[in-house]
Amino acid sequence: MSTSMEVSKWRHLPPPPGFASAVTSSKASSKSVATATASYEELKTKRAWDLAFSPAKSLPMQAFMLYMSGGGVQIFSMGIVFMLLSSPFKNLASINTAFAPFAPASSSPKSLNTLPLQKIAYVICNLLTLALGLWKCRSMGLLPMGTGDWLAFETRGQPPEILLV
Amino acid sequence: MRLFTLCLLAACARALHSYEVGVTDWHKPFAGVPLLLSESTSPVFHRSKHQDGQSSSMILSATQSNVLAAYHSVNGSLAWRHLFEDEDNILAFRKDKDVVAALSGPGGAYFRIFDSTAGHLLSETRLHDPTAGLLQEPGSLGIAVAFGSEEKEKDIFVLTNGHTLRRLSRRTGEVSWGWTAPDQTSSVIYSKILVTPSTVYLLGLTKSFASYTLHITSLSPETGELIDSGDIPSRITSGLSEPLVLSDVKQPETNPQIVWLEEGAIKAFPLTPGLKSKSSVVKGAVYKNIEDVGLSEYGQFVAIKDDGSGRVIKLTPEGLKVIWEFSDSATSPQRTGSIYSGGIDVDGFPYIARVFWMHTLKLASAHVFAAHLAEGKGLVTGFTFPFKTGEHGIITHVAVEAANPEPYRVLARLALTTSTGAVQMWQQDQLQWTREEGLADIPVAELVELPERKIASHSESDQETFGARVARQLLDAQDFPQYAVNFIRRFVTGSYASVSSSVAPPANTTEPLSRDAFGFRKVIVAATSHGKLYGIDSANGEILWSRVFGLGWAAQVGGHIIPAKMFVTRTVNDGDSPQVVLVTQRKANNGLVDTVLFHVDALTGDDARDKSQSVDVLQGEDIVSGPLVEAFLLRTASGRAVVCLDEFLQVNVYPNDDETMQALEKILPSVRIPLRTGPPGQRRLTGHQIPKTVEFTGKHIAYPTWSLPFPPSEDIRAIFVRPSDPVASFGKVLGNRTTLYKYLNPNLVGVVTGPPSTAPLSESSTCSIYLVDGAKGTVIYHAVLPSVAGACDVKAALVENWLVYHYYDNEVGVNHAKGYRVVSVELYEGYGVDDKRRSSEMSSLSNETTAVSVYEQAYIFPRGIRTLTPTSTSYGISVKDIIVANENNQIQSFPRRFLDPRRPKQKPTAEEAEEWLIQYDPVLPDDPKRVLSRNYQVAKTRRIITSPALLESTSLVFAYGLDLFFTRVAPSNTFDVLSESFNKAQLMITIAGLALAIAIVKPIVARKRLRERWYN
Repeated sequence: MSTSMEVSKWRHLPPPPGFASAVTSSKASSKSVATATASYEELKTKRAWDLAFSPAKSLPMQAFMLYMSGGGVQIFSMGIVFMLLSSPFKNLASINTAFAPFAPASSSPKSLNTLPLQKIAYVICNLLTLALGLWKCRSMGLLPMGTGDWLAFETRGQPPEILLV
Repeated sequence: MRLFTLCLLAACARALHSYEVGVTDWHKPFAGVPLLLSESTSPVFHRSKHQDGQSSSMILSATQSNVLAAYHSVNGSLAWRHLFEDEDNILAFRKDKDVVAALSGPGGAYFRIFDSTAGHLLSETRLHDPTAGLLQEPGSLGIAVAFGSEEKEKDIFVLTNGHTLRRLSRRTGEVSWGWTAPDQTSSVIYSKILVTPSTVYLLGLTKSFASYTLHITSLSPETGELIDSGDIPSRITSGLSEPLVLSDVKQPETNPQIVWLEEGAIKAFPLTPGLKSKSSVVKGAVYKNIEDVGLSEYGQFVAIKDDGSGRVIKLTPEGLKVIWEFSDSATSPQRTGSIYSGGIDVDGFPYIARVFWMHTLKLASAHVFAAHLAEGKGLVTGFTFPFKTGEHGIITHVAVEAANPEPYRVLARLALTTSTGAVQMWQQDQLQWTREEGLADIPVAELVELPERKIASHSESDQETFGARVARQLLDAQDFPQYAVNFIRRFVTGSYASVSSSVAPPANTTEPLSRDAFGFRKVIVAATSHGKLYGIDSANGEILWSRVFGLGWAAQVGGHIIPAKMFVTRTVNDGDSPQVVLVTQRKANNGLVDTVLFHVDALTGDDARDKSQSVDVLQGEDIVSGPLVEAFLLRTASGRAVVCLDEFLQVNVYPNDDETMQALEKILPSVRIPLRTGPPGQRRLTGHQIPKTVEFTGKHIAYPTWSLPFPPSEDIRAIFVRPSDPVASFGKVLGNRTTLYKYLNPNLVGVVTGPPSTAPLSESSTCSIYLVDGAKGTVIYHAVLPSVAGACDVKAALVENWLVYHYYDNEVGVNHAKGYRVVSVELYEGYGVDDKRRSSEMSSLSNETTAVSVYEQAYIFPRGIRTLTPTSTSYGISVKDIIVANENNQIQSFPRRFLDPRRPKQKPTAEEAEEWLIQYDPVLPDDPKRVLSRNYQVAKTRRIITSPALLESTSLVFAYGLDLFFTRVAPSNTFDVLSESFNKAQLMITIAGLALAIAIVKPIVARKRLRERWYN
């Protein structure tokens, strides 16, 4: 429901003042209209690619922030790591909404199948962010990677023999 | 790096706070059970005069713990004590006015003079090389100490080795002259000295065919020149210390005499410098014994007639005279034989006390004879006193001190020594004090947990009427207001039980024993080798109960009980009051040895078998009619059982009921027992198993399965095992998150071997320490240690996968110095990190028991130790420190972090720093802040027991030996309780203030919001 509202929000926006669609449509020829629509679609595709690579673009900055926040388990480094770990999932959860403004007019904006290449790139870039977060976790010793992390869960049975000394 | 280490040290150093002194710890000093072998070491009263004219009385005694001690007569507190080294046996002491002279070591090698009031050592003189000392049997033969005959500043005459007499200065111990018998190879052994102003007489015995002849030598006291020497025609057949030398300080002109017993007659020989006199005979009766009651300087002694009655005989200028015969002192079934003892009063008059036990009245009786009273006719005053024979055994020695406040009235003070090792002071029939000196000799002890206090009300009977129930609950509710006030106060101020407060109950409470909030209070059950079992409150060291062991059938012939092992067979976790089983060997005087079990309730000392009354002696159960080989505690499905192996390796089980036997049958095939077998000198470790089938005797007989012979130059000295504490973690996590899995083979047994004591001393003899799989005999770890003169002074402890041992290294060389070493060894599974073998549940048949990697490091230890023990906590999470009883008579803790065998040799890397490893330093710091015993002298500690409290952070430490010492330690600090400085009141005030603020602001905000809605 809310998504349809959002869609209707930008679909039925009134044109800005002095930008009457009726005027353009009446003045321009059908060919120029087709050209404009094509360039508009192209623009949207380009913007969609931009969005798809945007997480990767912020990676260097995030890496720098991680470097600055240090290896200790403190409030800053934890905040950054938490952001790194949570933002990919947040992004992926709202992937369709994020790409809906760039959906071609021909396809339904909320469908997963629209803009598949961009979405795949977007997923990969978000995974890179996640990987950066996990790498940081590992370097901070927060990932249960070694046997030592599982030692507390180990159990031992009774020995088969009883020694009396 | 240095700074880092310093910070670390500062962080982990935890000294005792001043408010904890004497609250969390206690110390009971003892002197030991008085040594009663000869009159010269037995307890004796001593009255020392102070400068202000007052005098105070003390009891001096040498003890079986090799201590010379003085007690205050008034309250029984220890005035002073001097600890003699173990190889320096105290042989005799004599006192005179303000000094006490003591002779010790083989043949009397060392002579020491002490200040009698404070016990300061005034001088110490080595009279001869201890290795040149003649070992006599008894040890008091051939040595004597006597004071000179001067009025003041009497010099001391010391006889050592049976043939050397020296005159020493009373103040400095300087030798003014010495005389040695010219013919030392002759069979004369001197053993008594008599000093007169003109002559020093030496009384000795010459061994002749089937008897001894008296030999006397007279010397000049000034120069030590020989005056004369000769034999007295005499035949002494029994008792080498029997001849007496009588003199009389009250009448110095009386000629001293030698008195001895020869064929039932008392013979006397007057001493003159020229030794020209003839012996005389005291006529009138046949005597069977003469007793020196310590009054030979006053010319009095007691002679026992052949019917048992005692006579006082006195030296007079006319010769020996019988001056008194104690009435009713003949041997009788109604009373025991009498003990005679002599003492003097303030004015120096002699008294003789006769003490005996009356079977008919169940009372002890004392008769005190004063020869000088009643116009010289002699006066006897008698009294009975309620000596508790069921609590203290029988009287073995009496020392007496008397006072004569008015004519015809004699007040006597008796210092009794009993067979259970107690020293008691009686003033007439009033008991003044009792010292349980038997506690200085504890072979086995255990700490037993206490049950919780029963707070919830419960009805006594199942069927209770409604009215009765309401009445009972109303009665219970009467304490409610107090409870509510307490609750609020506790809630607000946070005055909870504190970890640094005393857990001792308030005085004069009759509450049943119960534990405190943190489980710091336990019962120490301790058995002494003097036939007594004690329950001691660990909160303050008070004796809660004590029981005397019954001898069973051996009561007819006499005997003594030697405690071997003690097991807690029932704990509070099993639901009922805790119980303790003590396994002992009873040596009857007819040579028979039996194994006897005593089973008591640890809270009350009551016989758990209900065979003996709580006021009577404790009767045991003869489980084996023969000596014990080994006793074990076996946890079965039905509880805990005690398994005793006799010399035929038969399995005897206690309790012997069907339930236990059935539970036992199930686990018998999986039982493995390593035993020490073989003759002394070739002892080997032999593994045993128990078959399922029963022999014709109805008992299982263990059979050997393997044997681990050590090299012929090694003999087993000691076996030690891991305590059965829980293991919190199965591995050690390294800085890089990999794990070293701990080698927790449940069958690990430690063995210390050394050269056989029968073998001749050789330079090449060495000691060894082994870790052996006790189920199959595989050697897991082995180290060879140097031996010092054939001795193996190796102290070792094993906990989890950690072995710590301490020894003396006497090798010298380049970059190698003599000194004490401690080696810390850790065993890990497999051959590297993450190599998991699951050793704690491994079958002993597995090949992987030998897959062990060993990490070890040696450290230089500050000093020698007597024993060492790791701390023990309830879940094993806290770090385990090592508690050590060192040679300075201190109890000291050494932190695990310094003993870690993985301390890096270089600067720790980041990963090592993450493990809190510090750089290796060969010298262990001797931190005085870690001395748990503070300024107490915890002497001759034999063993330290550590026991968990309810708090995981805290371990209870109990050290026993000569003294008892108890404290508690928190190796990882008290992480599980709020710190003492936590301000709960402040927290409560803050919360209350915030609540108040909310209550005030809430309506204001609500009103403001409402207004905003209106005007928007």
